[in-house]
Amino acid sequence: MTPATAAILYVLLTLGALGVYLLMPRTGRSLVKPGVFFGGIALVGILVLLFTEALAPRGVAVYFCIFAGVALFAAVRVVSHPKPVYSAIYFVLVVVAVAAMLVLLRAEFIAVALIIIYAGAILVAYVFVIMLAQQGNAAPYDRCAREPALAVVAAFLLAAAVAGHVGPLTNLAGSPEVIPASFAETAQEGDASLADHPGNTESLGIVLMTKYVVVLELAGLLLLIAMIGAIALSKKQVPVENWQQPRRPLGEAGREVEPF
Amino acid sequence: MEGLEGYIIVGAVLFALGLAGFLCRRNLIIMFLSTEIMFQGVLLTVVAFSRVHEQMDGQAFGLFLLAIAAVEAGVALGLIVLLHRIRGTLDAESWSVMRG
Repeated sequence: MTPATAAILYVLLTLGALGVYLLMPRTGRSLVKPGVFFGGIALVGILVLLFTEALAPRGVAVYFCIFAGVALFAAVRVVSHPKPVYSAIYFVLVVVAVAAMLVLLRAEFIAVALIIIYAGAILVAYVFVIMLAQQGNAAPYDRCAREPALAVVAAFLLAAAVAGHVGPLTNLAGSPEVIPASFAETAQEGDASLADHPGNTESLGIVLMTKYVVVLELAGLLLLIAMIGAIALSKKQVPVENWQQPRRPLGEAGREVEPF
Repeated sequence: MEGLEGYIIVGAVLFALGLAGFLCRRNLIIMFLSTEIMFQGVLLTVVAFSRVHEQMDGQAFGLFLLAIAAVEAGVALGLIVLLHRIRGTLDAESWSVMRG
């Protein structure tokens, strides 16, 4: 990445940070319109930068830019929407867009697993808990964010540090193509090699069952422990405290407790 | 395949959005949804590096990442239900006594 490209990227990330800051739910005057303006400029700018500076993958750059745009837009909506149910629905959009980008990376098994696990299982659990816990309109604690300026600055500094220093990434020269071509790519070549085509699932399975077999067992054990933990947590009988709502009205920053 | 930098950039921005959401939203459920967005960013990065190095290891890491995400979601939702039963609200500020 040339210094000029990095500089443009920093400017766009700053605009994006400003847009996200303005879009965060707040008490008082709504700043959604300028937030949409700055955030939209940043989003379109980043996508155009990826496309014109050849930072998007060759051959599938158009698809990549579309899915990246959908993922980033939906992610902004997840963190900025005052109603949790809508946040969860937008999160499904993030998952679908990320899965599409994984397909472009020849990681079809992960992509399908992502859809099944996230959109199918985790999201349903989240929506259940939201339905269980949330009543009707947006709660006061959803309508104002806590220290949005500091949080957005910290987060986008991290993003700029990572994104501004990514070097030119191509397939390392001389390394053989280990990752098998995706089904779509093979289908374009004709059906000659489909039968003995190794396939993504097979290659991933071989790696999992040879190199990472211990880790795989540990992951299964971890899932078992988590299941027991979740059951124990939700069966626990707890005394209900008489927790007082804060008497002071919520301030602009939404803080009720003074900093140390 | 050239031009894999875009995946790193998009992954970093997704992580940043999740981090911003985790730090400044006050609803416990939204906070944990934000961590899931961070997981998505990391997953994209890991699988992109798998493509850079032409090794399947990155995709294997991605699968383990999904397992960790499922574990996190299960325990977190159990905790949220428990905390909601105690305080009757999802506001993270209601637990600010834990700041010490």
